[in-house]
Amino acid sequence: MKQTNQFTQLVGSLDRKERPVDPISKPSGPGEESGPKRPETDSPSRDNLMKRMRKVDPKQAEKYRQRTGE
Amino acid sequence: MNPVRLFGIETEYGIAREDSETADPVVESMELVRAYLDGHFTRRWDYRGEHPHEDQRGFRVKELAQDKEEDLFAEQDAHRPFSFHEMKSDLVLPNGARFYNDHTHPEYSTPECRTLKDIVAHDRAGERILWVAAQRRNEVLGGRVVQLYKNNTDFHGHSYGCHDNYLVSRSINFESLVRGLLPFLVSRQLIAGAGKVGRETQEKGFTPGGFQISQRADFMETELSVDTMHNRPILNTRDEPHATREHYRRLHLILGDANMCEYATALKVGTTRVVLDMIAEGFVPSFDLASPVEAIQDLSLDPDLKVLVKRKQGGNILGLDIQRDYVQQARKVLSDIDEETEWILQEWEQVLHQLEHDPLQLVGKIDWVTKRWLLESFVQDEGIGWDDPWLASLDLEYHNIDPERGLFCGLEAEGRTTSISQENDIHEAMKHGPLDTRGGLRGLCVQRFGEDISSIQWEGVHFNGEKGKLHFDLLDHLDPTSVAHCRAMLMDAKTPQDMIESMTVPK
Repeated sequence: MKQTNQFTQLVGSLDRKERPVDPISKPSGPGEESGPKRPETDSPSRDNLMKRMRKVDPKQAEKYRQRTGE
Repeated sequence: MNPVRLFGIETEYGIAREDSETADPVVESMELVRAYLDGHFTRRWDYRGEHPHEDQRGFRVKELAQDKEEDLFAEQDAHRPFSFHEMKSDLVLPNGARFYNDHTHPEYSTPECRTLKDIVAHDRAGERILWVAAQRRNEVLGGRVVQLYKNNTDFHGHSYGCHDNYLVSRSINFESLVRGLLPFLVSRQLIAGAGKVGRETQEKGFTPGGFQISQRADFMETELSVDTMHNRPILNTRDEPHATREHYRRLHLILGDANMCEYATALKVGTTRVVLDMIAEGFVPSFDLASPVEAIQDLSLDPDLKVLVKRKQGGNILGLDIQRDYVQQARKVLSDIDEETEWILQEWEQVLHQLEHDPLQLVGKIDWVTKRWLLESFVQDEGIGWDDPWLASLDLEYHNIDPERGLFCGLEAEGRTTSISQENDIHEAMKHGPLDTRGGLRGLCVQRFGEDISSIQWEGVHFNGEKGKLHFDLLDHLDPTSVAHCRAMLMDAKTPQDMIESMTVPK
């Protein structure tokens, strides 16, 4: 189906790295470390994030207005 | 234990047109939903199943606090050149989810799920579906001008919701539910809060400065209420079960934040489900909170987790200790701890331990910790204060679902978040509902007989059959055996008529 192909194409273009945690098979106890490591303060990925943050318009929230929802 | 495990999440997204200050938000939200599907909107939502004035406390209110505002909106909307159905653009998708324009917010409601793995995959599928819709809309507009935010505030005093819903046996009286849930819900933000800079009220708007744990705590005004847009309650009393009323309630929680972290979504729903199981087993907390509304705001305003809240029976307690009390009691109260429940309890214990001793371990897992870490790094790098308006913009951008702009998306692309679902789980959830719930059956009806559907909602599907109107009642298809039986019939049927006949005639 045409729509399904477009759909898959768009979704396939999303960048997402896998760091799976199986919610039922690998429990770990308190104190054991799992998931991402403590953030490193000088890593290249931190620099990338800071670059992304600096691009944000400081007035963006001021301009953002929504109607009250539920 | 609850007889049937079933839950779902409704998320209202924020929407912005960056190329126009005069764009009509109703039209923008409508056009976004319509961009997702081509063609006409024949799959009309059946609003007869909605009863927002019914109260779990056993009465029906004459009016909601928002009724006047709703009437005003309806009056304004009537001047637009669209019918009610066109403006709502209410879709049921092939995965059994509902996607529509809720006044001015595109809202995605997951199909009913039975497992944490499914609810997380379907919540993420919702983000992807909205992102696909935004890309299509932006193609028409000729630029990346529509942006979508999975958050709960506009930093001007307007909040919109992310509601988590649970099927509960009607045999549990409502007073027991309230008593058992309130301390848990007040402190649930410690594991499920999305974090927010500044403070807000509907009347006074936004005040910059500081960082708090929850996006919604500022907007909680009372303990119990049937209202959802004003006078918002910690525990919403709307009695709209979407299942057989004599047997079930639907717990409709409106206090939660929209989560970007999959792990936080899993823990939010998982721990709430565990507490409901405890209440079903007769659990009653050893204490009540003296002032739940004050407590939810006090806890939110203290990301260092040192603030004490008052107990009705005397003495004070930390938010962390409220949560610890629940998880410890769960191990004593629950008679049947399956694998998923064991995972929830272990992760819950671990998160509480890490929040106290090493919260940075939770970056990429718990939203408020992640956002606080990002903003703190930025404040230090840029040498700005916590009252700098730039921080509210960064807070907003944390929730942007555009992979090239969103701050959470950036963290995820760097591999610094913890996933519960695999990529293929999310892709599958975009196309199909859960195999073991009526949400999957609803989606299958859309896939197989979409052209024949005359109206549809949570509780059933109406078809235009060859011999007249047909109704597929989903009210009682709640357990997996019943769902599997219906699924087989639905897969084999050549027409809706076939399907209905095969379900009613014993073979």
